[in-house]
Amino acid sequence: MFLGNLASLRYFLPEFAVTATILLLVVLHVVTKSPRSTASGFLSLLGVGAAIFLAGVAPAGAGRSIFEGMVAHDGFAVFFKVLTALATLVVIFMSMDSRDLAGRSQAEYYIFLLSTLLGMFLLSSATDIVMLYLALELVSIPSYLLAGYLKGQERSTEAAMKYVVYGATASGVMIYGFSILFGLTGSTQVAEIGRSLAAGKATLPMLLASVMVAVGFGYKIAAVPFHMWSPDVYEGAPTPATAFFSVGPKAAGFAVLVRFYYTVFAAADPGTGLWRLTSAVDWPFLFAALSALTMTVGNLVAVKQSNVKRLLAYSSIAHAGYMLMGFVLLSSAGIEAILFYLVVYLFMNLGAFYVVVLVSNATRGEEISDFTGLGSRAPFAAVALSIFLFALTGIPPFSGFIGKVYLFAEVIHRGVYWLAVVAALNSVVSLYYYTRIVRAMFFEEPKDASAIPVPAVSGALLVLLVAPTLILGVYWEPVARIAADSVRMLAF
Amino acid sequence: MSGPADFIFYAAAAMTVGAAILVAILPNILYAAVALLFSFAGVAGLYVLLSADFLAATQILVYVGGILVLLLFAVFLSNRISDGKTTNPTHFRLPAAAICLVLFGVLSYAAVSTPYAVKKGVYLPTTADIGELLMTRYLLPFEVASVLLLAALIGAALLSRPDRAASVKGEMEEGKR
Repeated sequence: MFLGNLASLRYFLPEFAVTATILLLVVLHVVTKSPRSTASGFLSLLGVGAAIFLAGVAPAGAGRSIFEGMVAHDGFAVFFKVLTALATLVVIFMSMDSRDLAGRSQAEYYIFLLSTLLGMFLLSSATDIVMLYLALELVSIPSYLLAGYLKGQERSTEAAMKYVVYGATASGVMIYGFSILFGLTGSTQVAEIGRSLAAGKATLPMLLASVMVAVGFGYKIAAVPFHMWSPDVYEGAPTPATAFFSVGPKAAGFAVLVRFYYTVFAAADPGTGLWRLTSAVDWPFLFAALSALTMTVGNLVAVKQSNVKRLLAYSSIAHAGYMLMGFVLLSSAGIEAILFYLVVYLFMNLGAFYVVVLVSNATRGEEISDFTGLGSRAPFAAVALSIFLFALTGIPPFSGFIGKVYLFAEVIHRGVYWLAVVAALNSVVSLYYYTRIVRAMFFEEPKDASAIPVPAVSGALLVLLVAPTLILGVYWEPVARIAADSVRMLAF
Repeated sequence: MSGPADFIFYAAAAMTVGAAILVAILPNILYAAVALLFSFAGVAGLYVLLSADFLAATQILVYVGGILVLLLFAVFLSNRISDGKTTNPTHFRLPAAAICLVLFGVLSYAAVSTPYAVKKGVYLPTTADIGELLMTRYLLPFEVASVLLLAALIGAALLSRPDRAASVKGEMEEGKR
């Protein structure tokens, strides 16, 4: 049963580490003379590092429900905690390196980043809709502030404003859906709601609730048609924050999507690794359509982009579409494929954004034309970016290929052939716009041929991001096993 | 529920919905803000009818007393807010109206036809129960809300603080337009 509040504290150490770091950052900001120093960045690194350590070393076992059933401590939650904290760690490095943020007060930026991280921890483990909603807001509200951090820059302010308006609408619709579920079942516990719904036969309200909740979660993972905010936000926000949005909140969004729908609107068939629908509402089909739409719109619009940040924004929409394929299959192998893909995606997407940071530090621009001749101006960064882009396309021998193989294999295994065909066509389209950047880097003459210096530390981080992208392309077994274990421990 | 309770319910509901419609259609932002006051007050009335005494008081204190006053201050203190131009002209009015009507129909039908889990209870003050739940079952959300508020507070301070370097740049951009 549920663990009480005091007994739960020992399973809550990563969250404590993050919260303590937030408070220390506030203190540091008050006592320090120079708000622009890098001390807050280092402190955040320590805090997030400690959180990863604490989350990683404590085995979740069979999983338990802690804090009176508010959150779950299971392998699934631990997986997403480590994943999102890892993304945050990389983003902190990127932020310390970015010229976007230089000369601005630093502490607040990291406070928002870590508050979002705490929100993502809770979002991936919430099992009560009160907690779930609060966690979602804890992810959203600091994100709005991160998007608008470049005060005085019109694009950044516009990004924050659009983010707020779309975010408020999406969570309003989602709350309406929650209110229907609460009205039907009289419970805020996700597992309890699932059991009550399985007993009843209220099809229309369940359909409404499943669609309305999909709006809130779809907004977080930037699925079409709830993606409108993402290109403008991605373009206007400081680039490290953009990289963060494209990986962190998206991963947490997938975590809550899987946990919520697989508990409320489906029930596990023990022993088979499959789930079955508990009502007449065919939400997997709804999400399959959403998945096809998301990848197609994302890829087709990306083709026309000339700003690299915007292009990567649409590309990340498309990747949300690929990952949604695993969600609609109602099988643990499908979830496993999502988890594996998220790991791969973390490295390749953050890596691509990191090169954008390095290039725009030197050229002050993010257009594709700013990348021309990068092959001779900064050969190492150019090669690294090419590796990330080929991985994003899903070309062997890079990690993105293995991620897609897992997804496609399970889609075909479960017999959803049309979705596999749509995804395959989409991969071909994506090859076009990813290679356009590669072509600009290696085969076009730069306007300014001066070398772009890559500091040793940045180079080292780039190596750390390239290495998994290459290694996971040939030796992926351990990560796949971790992903499989995390699904198996999904306890409700 | 008997006669008078029904009457009060319909009055409160009409006030809430009518004022909300006014908020949406009134062109003057100040009038819209005042209409919002009545909408909030109507919701407080609905809470009273549901014998949610604590929520009703909170609704009045926080929304009517706090948020709305803040909103009015924001309207008064912002220059150029009254002669705001619509930069985003409305297209597709008819399709939008059709979609809204269909949505309204579906939601109302669902609200009326759904067999909600109705709880028959004795009407007692709820404050003590809420207080106890916040300290026991909902302790974690209660604590997490404080982190959320801290972040929001810092964000508000950051956004409203005159940042010298950034504001000079901002004014330059403003001047260019």
